[in-house]
Amino acid sequence: MITYQLTSMAIGILLAAVILFLVRRDHLHGPYSLWWIGAAATVALLGFFPRLFDLLASKLGISYPPILAIVLGFSMLLVKILTMDLERSRQERLIRRLAQRLAMLEAQAPEPNGADTTEHDPPPPPRATG
Amino acid sequence: MGKLNSTVVLIPAHNEEATVGDIVAQVRRLWRCPVVVIDDCSTDATAPIARRAGATVLPLTIQLGAWGAIQTGLRHALRQGYRIAVTLDADGQHDPEDIGALLRPLTTDAADVAIGAFPERASRARRLAWSYFRWLTGLELEDITSGFRAYNRAAMHALASREASLLDYQDVGVLLILRGKGLRIVEAPVAMQPRAAGASRIFRSWWVVGKYMLQTSVLCIARVGFNPSQPPAAD
Repeated sequence: MITYQLTSMAIGILLAAVILFLVRRDHLHGPYSLWWIGAAATVALLGFFPRLFDLLASKLGISYPPILAIVLGFSMLLVKILTMDLERSRQERLIRRLAQRLAMLEAQAPEPNGADTTEHDPPPPPRATG
Repeated sequence: MGKLNSTVVLIPAHNEEATVGDIVAQVRRLWRCPVVVIDDCSTDATAPIARRAGATVLPLTIQLGAWGAIQTGLRHALRQGYRIAVTLDADGQHDPEDIGALLRPLTTDAADVAIGAFPERASRARRLAWSYFRWLTGLELEDITSGFRAYNRAAMHALASREASLLDYQDVGVLLILRGKGLRIVEAPVAMQPRAAGASRIFRSWWVVGKYMLQTSVLCIARVGFNPSQPPAAD
């Protein structure tokens, strides 16, 4: 008979392992890896001690503890998505200015004699890679 | 910086091979000033045709849209030391003869920005959109979306800034930045040609119009009372 304790431990360990594996493989850039190590630690902790939420909920006067987990998880996700869009806007600005700078430099470079300089790159891949 | 007395004409172009050559040649013949075509990732022969007609071509590697292309031109003009930059559409709807009417307020220092206005060209829907944006922003201009404009160096500095890089169109957002910097904007009535080719980038379909109206409204509301005071970035 599998207890809910075992299930939650398995889920916590699995998630934490995947995250730590990705961080170790250098797939996550500096500041993001910090956020995700924190997430891995939280998931593992809650997996081992799912009762933590019951404790916290009773302290906060919430009668149905699972809803606290859902609300907190949801808020963290919202914060994460918001910072992602902020970061994307910053990158969009950078990319635009880089493309402009490149165009200015290309106009200054001497053109090869008689050559048609309008080579075209293949259409750029979608930039939204999360 | 040997060109401090001069004017440059900037023409953003995306797949305008049918008209861009004539316009470049016409501007050069009439005004004898350098012409810069910003090639917004065209897939046709826009760039070689413009080059053959005597323009300097700034080739963008990523399609940035009308405003991104114009900002490229403004940054180029600033670096090259031009005193006035005139922006002109590549599709033939702006008559190069009218550039004089735009230059006059700038050369007499009556304004920092001159906008070629053709209010009578507008459809009823467009007029409605304009009066809505006038109401939202308090801008007192007839033709908010005109791409036929002249900027002096102060205006070019304001618009080459990083804060202007996330704009998508040369319209309300640009005007709000100019107003925020305390620059003087005047309108010069000019004649309007029917578009030789292509259609407006904005007033195309209801879906695009809706998205544009919503996005621009948010931009207007976000900038109410906003007075940017950062020093211009030198990048």
